[in-house]
Amino acid sequence: MKEKREEEALNGNLTAMIDVVFQLIIFFVCTVNMQEKAIDDRIKLAMAPNGKVSTAKNPYEVKVDVSDNGLVSIARTAMPVQMLTTILRKARLDARGNEVPVLIRADARVKHETVRKVMDACTAAGLYKIKFTALKERA
Amino acid sequence: MARKRRRSTFTAGELNLTAMIDVAFQLLSFFLISAHPVDVLTNLDVFRPQADTKSQQESQAKVIRVTVFPDGFTINDRGVDSRQLTSLLGKLADLDKTQTVLIQCTNESPHGKLIELLDICSKLGLVNLSVVSSGGA
Repeated sequence: MKEKREEEALNGNLTAMIDVVFQLIIFFVCTVNMQEKAIDDRIKLAMAPNGKVSTAKNPYEVKVDVSDNGLVSIARTAMPVQMLTTILRKARLDARGNEVPVLIRADARVKHETVRKVMDACTAAGLYKIKFTALKERA
Repeated sequence: MARKRRRSTFTAGELNLTAMIDVAFQLLSFFLISAHPVDVLTNLDVFRPQADTKSQQESQAKVIRVTVFPDGFTINDRGVDSRQLTSLLGKLADLDKTQTVLIQCTNESPHGKLIELLDICSKLGLVNLSVVSSGGA
């Protein structure tokens, strides 16, 4: 009788554990690339097969998206260029002297005029290091 | 008593395993279907020159000036296509890889053209790239 109870207890524990493990796996798989979801996938990047693969992330970097119709946005929030200047200036002050690179993800078809406005906003905010995101290899 | 015990452990074990395999296959197929391949991205670094254009003007003799147009490029005011630009820039890059490339871009040219130029510079190992907006119109 005692033996049976022990076996049952073992079985019960195992099932619950597997349940919880699966729950955890699902949770982590679903949340791990939440950050990627903030990227606007309507932007068609230009190809740059000879560029270096982007390496370690700088926590202070700011990603600015420019869509093909000239809309400037950060994390899918569209904004006028004046507001962008304000945000970038604040980002520079928050970094307390650390370098703040601005990552511009611009559509290949967008006119340079819009990109230039974004770069002017960076300059106005006192940021001089700009990175353009491009596609090295299509998956 | 002994028979009953054996039966109960047997059924419990089999049931657990079947359900687990079912769920595991469900999860496997779900992730296989929902996963999509990730593109490999690259970052092309450029600098914005500081606002003092005077020093820029003085040192202009030492720099390579490239202008991007919607239908081509000019290098030091000479019109070229992307292939000629690559060979010309390659010759200049062989002399000195740290020399500044001053990039101007017209307002009308698509962003893809600028990326194309930056890609060429990246291939040739030119690192000091400045994108200026003056005279772009």
